[in-house]
Amino acid sequence: MPSKTALTQPKGGTHKSRWQLFLKRFSKQKYIFMLVIPGVIWFILFKYYPLRFIVNAFTNYGTVAKPRFTGLANFQRLFLSPNFWRAFRNTLILSFYNLVFYFPVPIILALSLNELKNQFAKKAAQFVIYIPHFLSWVVVGGLFNMMLAPSDGIINKALVSMGTISEPIYFMASIKWFRTVLVGTEVWKSAGYGAVIYIAAISSIDTQLYDAAAVDGAGYWAKTWHVTLPGIRNTIATVLLLTLSRVMQMFEQILVMYNSAVMDVSDVLRTFSYVEGLNRGNVGYATAIGLFTSIVSVLLILGCNLFSKKVLDEQII
Amino acid sequence: MKVSKSRKLFLVLNALFMLLVCLAIAVPIWMVVITSFSTNEVAAAEGFVFIPKGFDLGSYQAVFSSSGYMGAFLRSIGVTIAATALSMALTTTMAYALAQRDLVFRNFFMNAVLLTMVVDGGIIPFYMVIRQMGMIDTYAALIIPMAITTYNLILMRNFFASLPESLMESARLDGCSELGILCRIVLPISVPILAAILLFYAVGHWNRYFEVIMFINSSKKYTLQVLLRQLIFQSEGEGTFSVQVNNFKMAVMVITMLPILALYPFIQKYFISGLMLGSVKG
Repeated sequence: MPSKTALTQPKGGTHKSRWQLFLKRFSKQKYIFMLVIPGVIWFILFKYYPLRFIVNAFTNYGTVAKPRFTGLANFQRLFLSPNFWRAFRNTLILSFYNLVFYFPVPIILALSLNELKNQFAKKAAQFVIYIPHFLSWVVVGGLFNMMLAPSDGIINKALVSMGTISEPIYFMASIKWFRTVLVGTEVWKSAGYGAVIYIAAISSIDTQLYDAAAVDGAGYWAKTWHVTLPGIRNTIATVLLLTLSRVMQMFEQILVMYNSAVMDVSDVLRTFSYVEGLNRGNVGYATAIGLFTSIVSVLLILGCNLFSKKVLDEQII
Repeated sequence: MKVSKSRKLFLVLNALFMLLVCLAIAVPIWMVVITSFSTNEVAAAEGFVFIPKGFDLGSYQAVFSSSGYMGAFLRSIGVTIAATALSMALTTTMAYALAQRDLVFRNFFMNAVLLTMVVDGGIIPFYMVIRQMGMIDTYAALIIPMAITTYNLILMRNFFASLPESLMESARLDGCSELGILCRIVLPISVPILAAILLFYAVGHWNRYFEVIMFINSSKKYTLQVLLRQLIFQSEGEGTFSVQVNNFKMAVMVITMLPILALYPFIQKYFISGLMLGSVKG
């Protein structure tokens, strides 16, 4: 524990004097220490104590009056369940779509904002694009549900009147379209806010680099390619790894927007666990799903962090 | 440097692109607001109204006179205020203490806090804890377990740690108590980060949805987000006719967005500076 007190003391003090030093240090700061106690209790109760209930994953809790230890039965059931594999597959597919279709958008927005020469326009654009991030998934889902409605939604009306389609599409209940809707709403809600970090990264690039590139005869695209993009390369990589490490956590958006008609293409691991545990009451089984999800999630985070340390020389967590 | 023609063209196209992006965000919100102020006839005929035709507060009267929605609105406000107050109290005190370089067990506490960003017991164990504490179907379940967001705690702690030590030292020499230092010296110079974190928490608590349907069983205690979800998705999802005309639904949606949109200028002002201030390594 590097601390000032410890550093200013001579090394190798006796056990007793160290203990006394600690007590002295502690009594000096007992009021500060009291400030940390409520928060620590909160963390113990709501972050660490829940881990105790993971043992339910190895019982048949919820389905019978007297739950008993069932070993790995829940996991056996899990790996044999087509619904589990469906949820796992959907989690991966939706994450992959987000990576391909969502991930580049904030970068493009930041580059584009950077090229707005009128300061007022830039401010105004920044004001607008951050708004959706602060709206709830219920509002955003509701907004899209209304716009995509088959009877009176503007999207269907526009497509029908332009003659692109003859019959209105029920986007929110169509197996073919629902994933597109999920990715589209994700882009609408988060892309603007996602650009913040890139805007900050771009503004911290040394302007001399641009001048030097201009002297070398670089045009706009050459400057973007050789100065801006390398300048934000680490930021891009960090965000990419953070995104990857959160793949398993996809949840609230889907819980708000999905329905039984599109279960096949949108049920993900966390919604699967939620419905099994809280709607069907299979607590043990649902805990097992959650545990599996958490383990994969931790492995992903650690893997991404290790990769980041090795390649980028910085930790993401 | 001479500005080439293609460069000019690019700048114009780029500005157009940004305009389109802004419109894609603003138009849906605009239509919700306009539809909510439309008469029943216009809303029923057009579904979604783009160009205002007439002005009618009927849908808002309907929402405010329905005890269900009005109650949910007030409950949402109450829960948000209580939860934000608790969040700020717990986060500020803990962040301040953890920012003290000399604090005993400081690294242990910091690591234990950071670990919670990786290790997660899942939804069901969390539910079991709340049930064991007897908080199911109480507002406490929407306030106490959601009080701290680890990320916000770390942002605030990093900011406190970046304050000059000499400031606190001199106050200590003047005989100021620790709580006095926090209240009289640290908090006044931390207004931007406090404002940013307060707004983050308030938005988070106001927007809360899944914890409400998870912990609250009686519909009399539902918050506005849950009622909006029911109003919009359950009437469409069943393939039956929507019971309510769009202007009523849109009025509920506007009321659900209202606190966020009202706070948004402040959010916009503080959140970026807050993010930047908090990311200073402590």
